[in-house]
Amino acid sequence: MKNSSRARVLKVTGPLFALSLVATACGGPEAGGDPGAKPETLRVLYTTAEANAAALQAQVPAFEEKFGVQLEIDTQPYDALQQRVFSEFASSSEHYDIIAVDTPWAPALVGNLEPLSEYLTSEELNEQPQGAISDFIPKVFFDTAVYDAGDTLKQFPNPNEPADIEAITAENFDVYGLPIQSNVSVMAYRKDLFEDPEQKEAFRAEHGRELTVPETWDEYVEVAKFFTQPDKNLYGTTVMAGVGEWATTDFKTMLASYGGDGHLVNDKLEMAFDSPEGVEALETYRELIDSGAVPPGSTSASWEETATSFDNGLTAMTTNFHALELSDTVEGGEIAYAPVPQAEAAGPHFGTWMLGINANSNNKEWAYQAISWLTSSETQQAMTEDQLHPSRTSVYDAISSEGADPAEAAFYETLGESLEVGVGRPRVTNYTEISHEIAVAVNKAASGDAAPEAALSEAADRVTSLLEQAGYDVPGN
Amino acid sequence: MSTIQRPSQQVPEGTSRVPSPGRPARPSRSRTGHVPWLYLAPALVVLLIMTIGPAIYIFYTSFRNASVLGGSGRFVGLQNYETALTDPATQQAFLWTLLFVAGAVALEMVLGLALALPLAQQTRANKVASALMLLPFAVTPAVGAMIFRQLVNPNYGWVTHYLQVLGFPANLDLLGNPVGAWAVLFALDLWQWTPFVALILMAGVQSLPAEPKEAAMVDGANKWQILRYITLPGLVPFLAIALVLRTIQAFKTFDSFKIVTNGGPGNSTEMINLAIHRIGLQSFNIGLACALGVLLLIVLLLLVPAIERVIGRRADPEEM
Repeated sequence: MKNSSRARVLKVTGPLFALSLVATACGGPEAGGDPGAKPETLRVLYTTAEANAAALQAQVPAFEEKFGVQLEIDTQPYDALQQRVFSEFASSSEHYDIIAVDTPWAPALVGNLEPLSEYLTSEELNEQPQGAISDFIPKVFFDTAVYDAGDTLKQFPNPNEPADIEAITAENFDVYGLPIQSNVSVMAYRKDLFEDPEQKEAFRAEHGRELTVPETWDEYVEVAKFFTQPDKNLYGTTVMAGVGEWATTDFKTMLASYGGDGHLVNDKLEMAFDSPEGVEALETYRELIDSGAVPPGSTSASWEETATSFDNGLTAMTTNFHALELSDTVEGGEIAYAPVPQAEAAGPHFGTWMLGINANSNNKEWAYQAISWLTSSETQQAMTEDQLHPSRTSVYDAISSEGADPAEAAFYETLGESLEVGVGRPRVTNYTEISHEIAVAVNKAASGDAAPEAALSEAADRVTSLLEQAGYDVPGN
Repeated sequence: MSTIQRPSQQVPEGTSRVPSPGRPARPSRSRTGHVPWLYLAPALVVLLIMTIGPAIYIFYTSFRNASVLGGSGRFVGLQNYETALTDPATQQAFLWTLLFVAGAVALEMVLGLALALPLAQQTRANKVASALMLLPFAVTPAVGAMIFRQLVNPNYGWVTHYLQVLGFPANLDLLGNPVGAWAVLFALDLWQWTPFVALILMAGVQSLPAEPKEAAMVDGANKWQILRYITLPGLVPFLAIALVLRTIQAFKTFDSFKIVTNGGPGNSTEMINLAIHRIGLQSFNIGLACALGVLLLIVLLLLVPAIERVIGRRADPEEM
């Protein structure tokens, strides 16, 4: 994000933020009742990079000023954090009051997180309107935080309506955290190339239509092939087909867009990815690679390499979750964003970090107030200064309507639109193993080692076996 | 056959007992029996807490369906072992692991010896070279793996660039095919660990007495004969140490596979340690992960004494 855009965001968010501080200085948490003995410190266990710790840490002084409670944030890299979080819960530790939870971990952790329905309905703890859960992007909120503790496999039946706590509890679900950083697959493209008169004319001459930002996979493949000029070190787009979660997420985005169930494995433990839609998705994926429209090394690439390729001007388009910034060597380069292309439907992969409360904490009411404030509309908007990907509708509305930097507003608009239609992961406790098997299938199909149908069928057998190993009763086995 | 030097056994002062002729005096068992154990106690306590205790716990847990958040689970007999041994993916992962260990360690022994022989002569240049050799295994394995991944990137890595100069196809995606991926993994392991073997063997060569070699030269032996019949037999104990240590280390290799290939392409470089990490530390199926760990331990327990026995026999001059 450019400095000028940061300044503009500050202009927008600054007064709002100051207003919230003034308002809270007049009241304070005690004004509405007694939320338990006031602790000196609330301890937060958070991730270093994946959920933008810098954005959270920047709000610590404001939090401490408002609540008079210190906020101590420990951050760890992803793998270390996961092991730390699980070991904290395994030892019933009360050390951390607030814990960052990534969606793949949630099915296993729900029993150790404090259910929030009573806190959300408490008048004492919700004086300020920012606690309203109806403002969270509905699909983000339900995918991230709403679980049936008795059957964690189940997705909430109606995830498209604004969240309402009574409707949630009526279905035997509860809320186990508040979403803070929402990551979703979006398409980035080189605006300067798409607007270059020479490129436009060449495209018109070659394809008999205007060069536009692709909205369908067919257009995407066509435009990617058009831009590919290996002699000029330029390729159309990227794929993340190396073995890893990146390949699975690439695939599930395409699976959903071809009309399949992007969750990969549904509530009934049926293998939704082993389907005609899955085959179609992999065929398109394979075509991008076969045609040479992606850079060499794409069948071993992860999200880091694809971001590096795009940042260094090697490709005209990319789909990724990473923050992108063109290097100085790309003269005249300009990035713009759009939702990932569709075929039958839209369903970009998304995953959101939430702030949950440790059920063993001695400061649960205060921890609730803290997560409520940290995920509030005003605080999230302030956090966009540090490139937070907000989880609330009102933040996206404010950024796009209040005169922010146009490029930044366009990015957030794309992000918000994509999150509204995103699709999350299956709610199984061994998701990492499931994802690995699907990534292997995607990699084999992408590199031509196996036909898409055979690769998916083999993966379905492996996934079935892994689910059974994890204690699930898979239908038909 | 080597002889054991027994410590001199003196009769403690003040004892009236006179040893019978031909029979050495033996100190009272009651006074000395516990002393060695007392000396060993600190080491044994550390070993018990840090190694034996956890090993017993792993063995115990491998018979239970334990998960981190589900308590210690219930006894499931051999179910975890059955799952581990009958899963084709696990069988393949064990096979890849064994092949990698055998291949990498064999190559490191040969290359380590080839480095150690010339570098053992203590010249100034060799001292500098020996110091430089320390660098690769001083690098954190994860960092080395990250650098290697960048070096072989087909778009900007210099390895692929120079391979093209040597006649290989342009923008060669080494990590995109199984042969290339294995080549990179072997190269990384050789780069990192050959110096370790070389340093052990250098110490061995430097400790060999010069007289037999000089005598052989006087008798007209050529360099190959000196190497084959004098240097190598003298180096056998050092070769054994290097081989055993490297074998154990190689079985523990994780970082390079996780970072460079993550088991790919497909599952062609899927080592058993990657599976154990995924099952144990990401899905937290502790029972199954422990069973896999015990199986790996059994392989090591069978393999290492076998190596020692084979090399130990060769180290015995009477059998050479």
